[in-house]
Amino acid sequence: MLEGAKSMGAGAATIASAGAAVGIGNVFSSLIHSVARNPSLAKQLFGYAILGFALTEAIALFALMMVFLILFVF
Amino acid sequence: MSEIFSVFVLGFCFCFYVSVNTWHAYRIIQINERLQKPMTFKITWKDGLVITPWERPIGPTHGPSDPSSPSGSPVKDALDLAQDVPHSPLDQFAIKSFLDMRVGYLYISFTNPAFFMLLTLGLVFLLFHLVTKKGGGKSVPNAWQSLVELIYDFVPNLVNEQIGGLSGNVKQKFFPCISVTFTFSLFCNLQGMIPYSFTVTSHFLITLGLSFSIFIGITLVGFQRNGLHFLSFSLPAGVPLPLAPFLVLLELIPHSFRALSSGIRLFANMMAGHSSVKILSGSAWTMLCMNDLFYFIGDLGPLCLVLALTGLELGVAISQAHVSTISICIYLNDATNLHQTFFFVIFL
Repeated sequence: MLEGAKSMGAGAATIASAGAAVGIGNVFSSLIHSVARNPSLAKQLFGYAILGFALTEAIALFALMMVFLILFVF
Repeated sequence: MSEIFSVFVLGFCFCFYVSVNTWHAYRIIQINERLQKPMTFKITWKDGLVITPWERPIGPTHGPSDPSSPSGSPVKDALDLAQDVPHSPLDQFAIKSFLDMRVGYLYISFTNPAFFMLLTLGLVFLLFHLVTKKGGGKSVPNAWQSLVELIYDFVPNLVNEQIGGLSGNVKQKFFPCISVTFTFSLFCNLQGMIPYSFTVTSHFLITLGLSFSIFIGITLVGFQRNGLHFLSFSLPAGVPLPLAPFLVLLELIPHSFRALSSGIRLFANMMAGHSSVKILSGSAWTMLCMNDLFYFIGDLGPLCLVLALTGLELGVAISQAHVSTISICIYLNDATNLHQTFFFVIFL
């Protein structure tokens, strides 16, 4: 029964990636908007976008880390 | 100023190194004691199926059978052979000690992460030495020299991001420590991508030790530069006086969370990435080993997924080192220029 409960907890914890997905879409949408406004800054803006992507992805990976903790440690 | 920074970072890194080894040695002793008792972690289901906790029967369930006499079905054979040894995707993060050393209560044994950290150091020194020997490279750089210049040049540009009141000389005092942090995390992350290697930064004690020490160093630098005025950092301008105590307390929480978040960001990215690759490649390998043409052809899916995920892992390794270094520079900026922004902004 503990196995089933672990699987259920892991599945529920994966829902948190939804928020991170929305956030990453937001970052790249802003990149497209801003490059359309000012194409000469495209390289620098891409650098900022990758930074924002990495920080937002970290939240998704916090959730993934909780999934692995629930599944394999507790 | 950056000497205090470096000394405290080194000191706390040493303390965390010792505590990592002590805790893991304690766990090794616990596990050894548990191994002395007969292994009774098998689960017996109602219909007589006996499995270990990590197995999930994917085929028709069967009673306890003899592993030495394989039945025809590959699913049953796989389950039989896996009966006695529990495997977990987190086994790749196990810390083994090569050389047990003990000073009273402290365990300073030479372990897996210690060996791979020394290997990282060795690789960095080798790369930098081979590129810069015979007088520091050529004017027209070859590929290796460009790489080293890229890694080296990245940090002073980052340190210049701390705009405002400090002159270039003073700012560049932070350069050695931040450069070492960046190079260390970059090469440790990249080294974990080598198959069958060990990722040092995938242990939260190591990354939290690094980020806590740096955060304490930054706080000390803030106090040294600004005196007790550093405490005004938590109070924005123009706040009515009755609200002030609550705001200070409230601001203290995100401020101290920064130490935790830097370490956990690096740790979570590395651990989750490596665990995902392990799980997917385990399933791809199992599909490859089943004697079935259908599974063999269908294995193309998981294999392509493993390839894509490894590519993503390489990108994440580099970008997480970049992100953790940028966030350290931002925290340093916040500590030395307390919430002040200046009107001239230097683009990177």
